[in-house]
Amino acid sequence: MAVSASSVGTVPKPSVDATHKRPKIVTNKQRVTWVALVLLVLLVAGAVWGLSIGSQHIPLTQLPGAIVKADTPGELILQSIRLPRVVLALCVGAALAVAGALMQAVAANPLAAPEIMGVNAGAVFVVVLAITVVPSLSGAPTILLAFGGAAAAGVSVMLLAGSGRGRVSPVRLALAGVTASSLLISLTQVLIIFDENSTDSVLFWLVGGVNFASWHDVRNLLPWLVLGLLGAFAMARPLNLLALGEDMARGLGQNVERTRIIGSALVIVLCGAAVSVAGPVAFIGLIVPHIMRRLVGSSYTVLLPLSALGGGALVLYADILSRYIKPPFEVPAGVVTALLGAPIFVYLARRQKVTTS
Amino acid sequence: MSSATIVAQRVRRTSLARKHPAVLMGSLGVLAVVLSFYSLSVGATDVSMSDVFKAVIGDTSDQAAQIVVQFQLPRVLLAWLVGTALAVSGAVMQGVIRNPLAAPDIIGVTKGAGFAGMLLLLAIPGLPVVAVVPAAFVGGLAAAGLVYLLAYRRGATPVRIALVGIAVSAAFEAGIRFLLVRNPLDVSAALIWLTGSLFGRSMSSVLEILPWVAVLVPLIVVWARKLDVLGLGDDLAAGLGEPVERTRRTLLFFAVALAAAAVAVSGTIGFVGLIAPHMARRVFGGRHLASVPASALFGVLLLLTADMLGRGLAPPLEIPAGLVTAVVGGPYFLYLLVKTGK
Repeated sequence: MAVSASSVGTVPKPSVDATHKRPKIVTNKQRVTWVALVLLVLLVAGAVWGLSIGSQHIPLTQLPGAIVKADTPGELILQSIRLPRVVLALCVGAALAVAGALMQAVAANPLAAPEIMGVNAGAVFVVVLAITVVPSLSGAPTILLAFGGAAAAGVSVMLLAGSGRGRVSPVRLALAGVTASSLLISLTQVLIIFDENSTDSVLFWLVGGVNFASWHDVRNLLPWLVLGLLGAFAMARPLNLLALGEDMARGLGQNVERTRIIGSALVIVLCGAAVSVAGPVAFIGLIVPHIMRRLVGSSYTVLLPLSALGGGALVLYADILSRYIKPPFEVPAGVVTALLGAPIFVYLARRQKVTTS
Repeated sequence: MSSATIVAQRVRRTSLARKHPAVLMGSLGVLAVVLSFYSLSVGATDVSMSDVFKAVIGDTSDQAAQIVVQFQLPRVLLAWLVGTALAVSGAVMQGVIRNPLAAPDIIGVTKGAGFAGMLLLLAIPGLPVVAVVPAAFVGGLAAAGLVYLLAYRRGATPVRIALVGIAVSAAFEAGIRFLLVRNPLDVSAALIWLTGSLFGRSMSSVLEILPWVAVLVPLIVVWARKLDVLGLGDDLAAGLGEPVERTRRTLLFFAVALAAAAVAVSGTIGFVGLIAPHMARRVFGGRHLASVPASALFGVLLLLTADMLGRGLAPPLEIPAGLVTAVVGGPYFLYLLVKTGK
């Protein structure tokens, strides 16, 4: 749980100067602390819950033993099945939520999110393509390929949407992104049909989830997650400036292009890594930053760490809920996040003020 | 509404279409028929053309002819009916809402219909499939109403309707996936509901959709002039003595019914309802008397080609037709989006 540890430390300090220098960005220190505390409690409770459900009852007193040695069968189950699942849920959620927040900042567009802009679909398509062509492929090369797919899809959507006139309207960007996503998803389905006919793999690559999690996945994801999260937290101040508007940020001496490029690169690292181990878990990057913004305001110094916590909690609980859908079977968590996220997408789409066309 | 002009007038017609629209329409029809015959012979087992002809005439003595009649013929007929239904539905929606981005799949009708149809099938197992059409109709209508309601805010702009439609579709698709997870079907059935396919359909499916197409499409063609009048804008249409609101609602009702019937038999095939009317308008111009039948022909051609490609690319495997149309239609939608912005 490197996520929660690193983010808690960064919460209170910067928020002071944020209120101070930029009165427009509302951050209430007490409120932030409360939200962070509640999220932490939720995370711990969710982790305990997630570790204790399953076909076999295992008392949690075995947890320390499971971490250290794993001798008894109970400890072994905890160590090799349930623990990686919980940890991976936290990591994937944190990665996708922070990527969403970054994307909304970089594109200056509340509808921007990795799943809407085609970034996740691009990563999935390339990963599935690689697996179809070279079945034995896994681990690090897959993640690098996922970066390529995510970057290609994201950049093409940006170019397509921007090929009209000057400023890109949020809705146009979202429409272009959603269409590109559906195109890539269709191509992925074609690949899956060619590859093998099992509902499990279809659902995994179309819906995404952590139900096949192993320590191997966690190890693959972790370095990229740490890199992405630290990079994102370091970007908080430039992003706050960018939120004031491009001209204002430039006037205050910021290199806007550099901020955008670094921000986009971080999005690609976070999404590519998360998607290549857990599939495209839906709507995390869209809804978590919006909920957090409602709760703690829009200063990225607190928004990014809290989004990481919130994303982790959301995927964790979605995974737990998904296990109650059809008890003996493992259902991908993405089914639950899609059900939760779609209405929020509807709400955001409706709220958009459209000036174009 | 500036987009009204896009649909009704700002369309150039090719010179052949201007001089001899009937000739061009006729040759499109001939092309569709030829393609159908070719499609009858493509499949897991190749059938020679002479056998196809024999089978169509009614001589089912040998095995090859039986394959054609039992497996291929329903598919091809279904491609005609579903293609017509989706394309005409799209043409009517684009005309009535005066929105070049409107189509049954964009404004949520297909996913809503698919969700409702699947819900009913799973809730009452062993239900005759005929009952799915009304359920799909209710689902499609509910989805369309929801989209319009949510997108309405001092008027509903085309792009916002499209975005809200996509969001509502995403919600229904999440529902479809949830149902799929709760009640695992086999992969091909699952893909039918997720992407749409003509795979494994029999004559009974053809009979289910036939009455809807046979009644509603001629009715819409007869009403083509009303569509033209609506395209002039509400005020002008009312001035010409058209009960605008009533006509609009009736036509939309027909469009949703057609799309729902198509979804009930073939799942959620995307993009045909969006692209076919655009192609038809490009070639035949904005007059609905010509463009509605032409949309139907283009829809048939699209679906026949998609189904044939899906069957023919890697013979024992079936790629659902809905995937092929999505792969073709996605880029076209992006192109439209870029064009609408200028």
